[in-house]
Amino acid sequence: MRKNPAVPLIALLIAGFALAQSPGDKLPSVIMAPVGNVQVRAGASAAVSLDFRIGSEFHINSHTPKSELLIPTAIKLTTPDQVTVADVKYPPGQDVSFPFSPDEKLSVYSGDFTIDTVIKAPANAAAGTYPVTGTLRFQACDHSACYPPKTIPVQFQVTVVKK
Amino acid sequence: MKRNALVFVALFVAILAMLASGKYLDRTRKHGPLKLVGNVQGLPAPDFQLPSLDGAKVKLSDFRGKAVLLNFWATWCPPCKVEMPWFADLQKEYGKDGLVILGVAMDDSEPDKIAQFASEMGVNYPILLGTDQVSDDYGNVQYLPTSFYISRDGTIVDKMTGLLDRKDIEEAVKKTLNTTSRPTSSSQQSQATAEVKPAVKDAAQ
Repeated sequence: MRKNPAVPLIALLIAGFALAQSPGDKLPSVIMAPVGNVQVRAGASAAVSLDFRIGSEFHINSHTPKSELLIPTAIKLTTPDQVTVADVKYPPGQDVSFPFSPDEKLSVYSGDFTIDTVIKAPANAAAGTYPVTGTLRFQACDHSACYPPKTIPVQFQVTVVKK
Repeated sequence: MKRNALVFVALFVAILAMLASGKYLDRTRKHGPLKLVGNVQGLPAPDFQLPSLDGAKVKLSDFRGKAVLLNFWATWCPPCKVEMPWFADLQKEYGKDGLVILGVAMDDSEPDKIAQFASEMGVNYPILLGTDQVSDDYGNVQYLPTSFYISRDGTIVDKMTGLLDRKDIEEAVKKTLNTTSRPTSSSQQSQATAEVKPAVKDAAQ
């Protein structure tokens, strides 16, 4: 099936409107774009980019915040036996000063960010479509206040095909 | 043709949504979503009993007759850090007039880490370990920092969310100090107040 590249963008756009309407509310401040079906040959690996959008009023800590007290953005993925997560690469954070702490730079993500993963299928993996599930944990703030840490679900399908 | 009509309707709805959200954001920017003053004013502050960092049980109602600044915060909240030294100064300045600042840590960190953080911030007032129940009782406190200013007779004078200017905080403190209390058992108050220790002994007055 041909993947329409506009679909994730439209989904992000619609969700972006929903976020924009609720500053200070308890709505999730991070959303994930749908991932098209990932195809991987048995014995090989495939890169999967997971795209996230943060509500325009917010930022979240990067995976490597500058203080151990700050809560890093972290993804956890669970796979069935037929596939494994071979690698996860987080983007570097942007070092930004905020009005609440002008002398201090925090390592954050804002706007869109992508976590690059590599999914591998063992040589003996049976052909089929398998769900990869997990969570993204993050802690969001705006220019003057912060929200408690939150997790959102992460899900995509991986289709293993024989060599 | 039919599909084009559907696309047109979808676009129209999207534009309406954008306009509505823009208008809302503009309004909240002008008036600020941060200073939520209004419907909680005049309501009785929900009583609670929370453990302090030194293991004491602290009840809000123990402070009847005092002006209480109840500050919800967390170690992972950078804007909260900014307020804490201000609160320490205000506690020093207005403590003699009856101001009691209580910090409620909405944190999963170990009490030791919270105490260390409070010490680094120069906190000289009690830090209590918050619970979901107390958060719910105070309107599901999700947005930190959030502070409630509680009159001497236990009613909410003001609620402020997000980091504000120190001047605004001090004004709210003065307003709260100017409240009067209903007659109550003074011996009970003084006994309870004496049991509460600041988070950091060295920084205490």
